[in-house]
Amino acid sequence: MGITKRTGTAFATLVAGGVLLAGCAGGGGPSTGATSELTNDKVVIGVLNDQSGVYKDLSGPNSVEAVRMAIADYQEKYGDDAVASEIEVVTADHQNKPDVANTQAQAMYDRQNADIILDVPASSAALAVSTVAAEKQKLYINIGAATMELTGASCNKYTFHWAYNTQMLAKGATGLVEDGGETWSIVYPDYAFGQDMLKSFSEAVEGAGGTVNESIATPFPNDNFATFITKAQSTNPDVIGTMQAGGDLINFVKQFNQSGARDTTTLAVGLMFITDIHSLGVEEFAGTTFTDAWYWNYDDQNREWADRFMEITDTRPSFAHAANYSAAFQYLEAIQRAGTDDADAVVAELEGQKIDDVFLRNGEIRADHSVAHDTYLAKVKSPGDVKEEWDYEEIITTLPAAQAYAPVQESCSL
Amino acid sequence: MGGISVHPLETQENRDMEDFIQYTVQGLSAGGFYALAALGLAVIFGALGVVNFAHGACYMLGAVGAAVLLGTFNINFWAALVIIPLLMFGFGVLIERLLIQWLLRLDILYNFLLTFGLALLLVDLVKREYGVSGLPYEVPPGLEGLVTIGSVSIQKYQLFVFAFSVVICLAVWLLLTRTRVGMIVRAATEEPERTRALGINVGRWVTPIFGFGIALAGLAGVLAAPFRAITASMGSNFIIVLFAIVVIGGLGSILGAVVAGFLVGLVEAYGQAYAPSFSQLVIFILMAIVILVRPAGLFGRRQEAV
Amino acid sequence: MSETVLESPKETRYLLDPAARRSRMIRRTVLLAVGLIATFLLPWMIYPPVAMDIAAWALFAISVDLLLGYTGLLSFGHAAFWGSSAYVTGLIAIKSGLPFPVAILGGMLAAMIIAVPIGWLSVRRAGIYFAMVTLAFAQMIYFVANQWKDVTGGENGLQGVPSNFFGIKLVESDSFYFYYVAVLLIILGAWAAWRIVHSPFGRVLQSIRDNPARARALGYDVEKYKLAAFVLSAGLAGLAGGVFAISHGFVSLQELDWTTSGKVVLMTVIGGMGTLWGGPVGAALIVLLEDALATSGFDGIGIITGSIFIVVVLLFRRGIWGTATLLIEKARKAIVSRKRS
Repeated sequence: MGITKRTGTAFATLVAGGVLLAGCAGGGGPSTGATSELTNDKVVIGVLNDQSGVYKDLSGPNSVEAVRMAIADYQEKYGDDAVASEIEVVTADHQNKPDVANTQAQAMYDRQNADIILDVPASSAALAVSTVAAEKQKLYINIGAATMELTGASCNKYTFHWAYNTQMLAKGATGLVEDGGETWSIVYPDYAFGQDMLKSFSEAVEGAGGTVNESIATPFPNDNFATFITKAQSTNPDVIGTMQAGGDLINFVKQFNQSGARDTTTLAVGLMFITDIHSLGVEEFAGTTFTDAWYWNYDDQNREWADRFMEITDTRPSFAHAANYSAAFQYLEAIQRAGTDDADAVVAELEGQKIDDVFLRNGEIRADHSVAHDTYLAKVKSPGDVKEEWDYEEIITTLPAAQAYAPVQESCSL
Repeated sequence: MGGISVHPLETQENRDMEDFIQYTVQGLSAGGFYALAALGLAVIFGALGVVNFAHGACYMLGAVGAAVLLGTFNINFWAALVIIPLLMFGFGVLIERLLIQWLLRLDILYNFLLTFGLALLLVDLVKREYGVSGLPYEVPPGLEGLVTIGSVSIQKYQLFVFAFSVVICLAVWLLLTRTRVGMIVRAATEEPERTRALGINVGRWVTPIFGFGIALAGLAGVLAAPFRAITASMGSNFIIVLFAIVVIGGLGSILGAVVAGFLVGLVEAYGQAYAPSFSQLVIFILMAIVILVRPAGLFGRRQEAV
Repeated sequence: MSETVLESPKETRYLLDPAARRSRMIRRTVLLAVGLIATFLLPWMIYPPVAMDIAAWALFAISVDLLLGYTGLLSFGHAAFWGSSAYVTGLIAIKSGLPFPVAILGGMLAAMIIAVPIGWLSVRRAGIYFAMVTLAFAQMIYFVANQWKDVTGGENGLQGVPSNFFGIKLVESDSFYFYYVAVLLIILGAWAAWRIVHSPFGRVLQSIRDNPARARALGYDVEKYKLAAFVLSAGLAGLAGGVFAISHGFVSLQELDWTTSGKVVLMTVIGGMGTLWGGPVGAALIVLLEDALATSGFDGIGIITGSIFIVVVLLFRRGIWGTATLLIEKARKAIVSRKRS
């Protein structure tokens, strides 16, 4: 009990202190310039993601750095004219647990006065945070989660979906079918994400004139894919598509390569981050195709940003890092245009906005709050073609935003 | 694999048969991991009366250790097969001396809880040290690719895992039945009371036996390295299946652990192949049936059940 | 879990010595008052949703303690009851819009119903077997929930569980006021646990814990008593899980995961088994620790909780509460004997 009480007191002191401080700031007379338009006299950006689990490397702490970069760029751009004169970043680890995400999101909005929450990988956690955002009437820009639900049946006024979704990931399949990969076997993890991906990929393959011979559900999580690979091969498809992600993807690819299937079949991966390639090694993935939302070595603009990112983090950015940068920067731009950080005003500024930045090319925030932008069909290089560390991808085609994203979902009414 | 061996005139029936054989090999190779690890669990339980919750974490340490040996010291798979079990043996001895021994006289649940805490600690330590995305590891040269027997193509590595684990299990069996040390260990494992009554000092064997059990878990980890994602959490679900295996086989039984290990491997493979939605349930249903029909497990003795 | 740590209350001493009885009365009243005050002050001291989490986990830990501390059964699968109640509570609340205490009651009943077959199979085994078997059955429930997506929402979970409370907006939307309504259910559950422990039924459980053979010889149907304790414990876990579901507004598979079972055992043992008070202490400690670490940037919570756990199991097997009461008792005796001399 001793420890609990002490901790309790510490918390009480903290809270009391916070109240006092807030009181002082509020009573300290009118502040100068644009500051008065800000709630709590500052803009608080919350980054809520996985800082300890499987999604740590692809987003995690480095996304926080990306957001800091966005803030620095915003401050440099507007200097003394910046509406968001004081910007604070708060972070929390949701450990990939939706209940933790839910509590932390509430705490961010209530306790830390966050004006916006960014990222939140894992669909279940993202949906939980989206509900909180609607309830608290504060912004939430999702980056890490893929589910269409966010901009479908569960959409709401305060939630935006920035980087990618399951339908967009499937569009890459169209290109593969056109290149002769007509028959497919799809192996997918049997949970919401996997089923969404199966649906999207089947539609994309069939839409392009291909056929899906077989769709094979696997347990999730799972470390033994041997039987599923045998099954997937039993109809001799041109392409085997795997919808596994994270550790399961690595399991799958290792076992796929050893099964000898690689010699006869193209492997298409549903969702892959550059950090996945890095951890397993480019050799294991060589020749694999996938849809990427952004690649650091695509052009000079990307490369320049990736160089800055590398100076801070000592690693190359995944698309999630770049998307966090973009979302934070565009959010601050919207505050600048609105002249306030009031959530409704900012939402109004964001809606319908056309955006071009380092992450979003031909970007547009659409009616269901999904953000459409150009995406890329990528192929993992062979080890011989890799010129430097992290130089893993060859961009085969660019899919223009209009093609990459399916029409706005009708199930969403804001 | 199927894709390569297909002849144009092949009938569907042949095809099904080939698939079945492949599933069997896959199940046996998965069973190899289980059997080795469960064997370690059974030996530890027998001699110390400890159910080691950290066994999954030790399996993980074996795989991570192999990846570190390869990545940092350029020590290959074959050497790792020897070095890692030795290191894990030392680790096990250390753990037994530092932690486990103090609770041996108390209720068995205390060491179960202690090793649960140990598992939490080990997993997060490895996570902090080696990250979350997993470590790379290649299939050792000579074991890549396929071997074709008749018209069935089978992965060399899977055959290797199966053969290797059978050899190790047999070697352990010979060690336990043919040597004096082994007989004492086995007696201590299966009949601790009587062994003590015969005036044999079981106590001095407790530490090396614990180390030996941990070494087996580490060995299973090394075998898994070329084949599975090497992450800090790779043992977290593994341990649950291991528990089911030792319950099915009978906790005190060495033979039971090995047989149930391979059995569960097979059941899992067939389940995945023929009833995918239930594949994860099958193991636990099997366990429930065993508890109902033979509460002491397939090879266990009755008094252990209560 | 007999030996060293737990011992039956020395009832005879209280029966024979009215002074001892009176002092026990006073001690219990003071403790109860302190506990209630702490419960009611909690949302003033810390963020109300976190306070609610502490309360829910506290009752969950008490339910585990009822089995572990008072019946000698370590259930490593209690997430099955916490989680299934959370799902049923959530479904009732979503589908029917009934006030949340009714939904929670439904969830609690569901947990108890599920506990009957699981308990019936599990109590056939004792000790370590019991722990492993309950763990395995809980995994089964997890897989069923994972597969049964139409009902449970699978990996996405059940979203948007309403907290209807007779249309009283203040309670429904403000976590501060919600706490005071929901915590009444928790207190009710804790009270029930106290009643069970101190009833004749509870004494039989403790005698089974201390010496099953003797209890059997005295004519008690040990398995039946264990099963009853198991089902009651599942009911309390279900009550806690229902509150948790409503307070979070959604339910996820995490609630059924074996790590949830592990976490609640952790809380119970750290707080102190066989004390009833230990569970809440452990729950408060772990929840506050997780809350603090979530925003600290330190990513290895298992390193801290694992180490604490190892130290507690090795050195302070009575847990925080048990060790504290022991020290107080010792100090009291020392003072009394000094006074006498």
